[in-house]
Amino acid sequence: MSPNQSSRRVVVTGIGVVSSLADDPADFHQALIKGESGIQPLSLFDTEKLGPCVAGEVRDFDPVKYLGKVNLRPVDRAARLVIVAAHQAFLASGWTPELRQEHNVGLVLGTMFGSIHTISSFDRRALEAGPKYAKPFDFANSVINAAAGQTAIWHSLRGINSTVAGGTAAGGQALAYATEAIRTGRSDAVLAGGADELCFESLFGFHQAGLLAASGEDDACSVPFDTRRNGFVLGEGAGLLMLEEARSALDRGATILGEIRGHGNCYDCSRGQDERAAEAVRRAIGLALSDAGLESEAITAVSAAANGSVLGDRHEAAGIAAAFAEVEEPSVTAVKSMLGETLGASGAFATIALLESMRAGVLPGVRGLEEREDGLGLTGLSATNRELEGRLGLVNAIGLDGNVAALVIERMNAQELAQRIVETA
Amino acid sequence: MQQRIAVTGIGAVTPVGAGRQEVWENLLAGRCGISQVESFDTANYSVHVGAEIKDFDPTPYFSQLDVSRVGRASQLAVAAARQAVADAGFDVSSIEPERAGVVMGTTSGEPREVELFDDHYVAGDLEQVGPEFITRYPCHVIAGHVASELQFAGVNVMIPAACAAGNYALAHAFDVLRSGRADVMLAGGADSFSRITYTGFARLGAIAPEVCQPFDLHRKGMIPGEGAAVLVLEPLERVLARGGKIYAEMTGYGLSCDAHHMTAAHPDGAARAMSGALIDSSRKPEDVGYISAHGTGTPTNDRQETSAVKKVFGDAAYNVPMSSIKSMIGHTMGAASAIEAAVCALAVATDHIPPTAHFKDQDPECDLDYVPNEAREQRVEVAMNNAYAFGGNNASVIFEKCQP
Repeated sequence: MSPNQSSRRVVVTGIGVVSSLADDPADFHQALIKGESGIQPLSLFDTEKLGPCVAGEVRDFDPVKYLGKVNLRPVDRAARLVIVAAHQAFLASGWTPELRQEHNVGLVLGTMFGSIHTISSFDRRALEAGPKYAKPFDFANSVINAAAGQTAIWHSLRGINSTVAGGTAAGGQALAYATEAIRTGRSDAVLAGGADELCFESLFGFHQAGLLAASGEDDACSVPFDTRRNGFVLGEGAGLLMLEEARSALDRGATILGEIRGHGNCYDCSRGQDERAAEAVRRAIGLALSDAGLESEAITAVSAAANGSVLGDRHEAAGIAAAFAEVEEPSVTAVKSMLGETLGASGAFATIALLESMRAGVLPGVRGLEEREDGLGLTGLSATNRELEGRLGLVNAIGLDGNVAALVIERMNAQELAQRIVETA
Repeated sequence: MQQRIAVTGIGAVTPVGAGRQEVWENLLAGRCGISQVESFDTANYSVHVGAEIKDFDPTPYFSQLDVSRVGRASQLAVAAARQAVADAGFDVSSIEPERAGVVMGTTSGEPREVELFDDHYVAGDLEQVGPEFITRYPCHVIAGHVASELQFAGVNVMIPAACAAGNYALAHAFDVLRSGRADVMLAGGADSFSRITYTGFARLGAIAPEVCQPFDLHRKGMIPGEGAAVLVLEPLERVLARGGKIYAEMTGYGLSCDAHHMTAAHPDGAARAMSGALIDSSRKPEDVGYISAHGTGTPTNDRQETSAVKKVFGDAAYNVPMSSIKSMIGHTMGAASAIEAAVCALAVATDHIPPTAHFKDQDPECDLDYVPNEAREQRVEVAMNNAYAFGGNNASVIFEKCQP
């Protein structure tokens, strides 16, 4: 594949985060480099049916703290996470309500489930009380694109409004989708990222599927790439990046945080089961690099998708190793060691973590990493923080069953961006 | 010069049959696929009809995946995809798998999997829920199953944009091809008949008791259905090089968001999507020879869509035939705009327009040409496919006769 031909560059002008660690991108990065963990005993709902559970929960999440006294009744938890993250991103990027009235701002949201809790609750109410007693509010929110629709209503976003589902790859896929919407000239400003909520339905489902690191068991380990790992811990949250066409962002005097340089998306037909999964990771990285017009040696840091899954982490490690086989391997971090598997939000969190790391010059270590699996081949993996001088990084967003996305991002300020535009003109 | 994108294959599984030819013949003949709901008990409901696909056997379409381990929406999607690829007439082994991708749309994904979970929850026997619930349920498995079955290892995206999802999927696949990220894309939508969806629309009072009569004065609502359609999209150059047939060229699309209400549409959004699609394809309203309406059959949708078309088309609105096949196959949710896109491509290819069935009395507020009850033979140079969804998502896509 050849490099992206569009002359329209896509930059990041603001970030919104609602996570188990922090609700601000700088605090989020601080927590990551302090090695704090958002994974704690679950308090959001009763887990009697499962025994004691830990999760990366957004504890005491209170939208009123951000939005003021507002009527949140029509909006479920998944959408509330997104509405607040969007609020933060608009504040940070200077997209005031007035500006949003003048321009059509888009929204591309990655999610695995939308709200499976709302969907299931709606259905159960109809089963228990009869279909005539089903709740219309819940039905409106039962579509998988409900959070994107509710957020558009809340913040007056009349541009493209898309929801992208790709399991745990969805956040990365959404950022790629939004990047293309800007490159093609279809949009100038798109808020993009991902979100999923913690709820009984998904937690129970993953538990029954044997995908979670067994809570309460002594040998439970969800440390990415660690040889003791035996599953992931579920997390939640919303991460959104305000993406804009570079010139229009500079013209309005926006703060520039970074640039989305390239993206790759491909599919592993084995659905995560064999070495084709590793090959798909290598391919997605290669596609993202060639889209960015870069060679692998340009990349100094990788924000991995690894979540503690036995096969998934192994395939990702092999894919990264193959993509960087010819060069010195970049530093690799895996923030799911601290956030858990936040599903649709995870690709956005991985991106935000890496961009903030490059801006601050410190890459967080993999929390809890003690025994690296033999033969993983990731020399850039470390339990401790590392200094980061490079300006180009790679983000992996990988599904549990075949979806693979990769992004190349660059840290960038307004001055550098203006210079870059002049140079390439 | 931007890549031109051709529609080269069509597959569909619908309440009025399966496969391009059967579906098209039945739609032109005005056949109706609506009957008593069989997939769950509607005794406690005030309505009882739906557009289910009866006697669907997915087995012949599966050679890679175990059909019994795949949800119904995926089964419908794989069947439509297999048909579409066969219809396009290319040798699958001639494609680089890494350059072949899939974009699918849906409203509910695999709702039966969560409905089964809910049954167990209510019955108090959750321990009966197995590992398949969470591995089969998430909606992205639909595009994944299509790709795994066909061994398409390229771009793979699932877009759950509710009732406009098929058009969203086509739009995304169009951009993927134009930016050179693939040589072949399968794009479409799929949904299986869902208790949740049915309950919701019944609760909103939106389901018609017997027939779906879009644009009719006495229309009483929509009728939920199920189905899948997949279109094969390829860059024109590539089709010409292999000597493949072309149904239509996809020349543009427009998306917009109302940012107004979750379930009540705002006509400005629909108008912006239509205008955007016309601009994107460098067409004027008077060029359009057919509109496949969203036309659900609810009093509000049909009135608002009519008003939005008038806003965009002006006087030309009265000269454009606009029909709704939902009168025959109900509202197949995420599949709807994909099936309707297939209809647009076939209208352009064959100069035939399917009717709006069950049309009896003109509504003074719906005074356009809805092609009542009888199919029409009429030249269609350009066709527009409209779709609107919960969340205020609007999408219009343009298909044209292809002049290579």
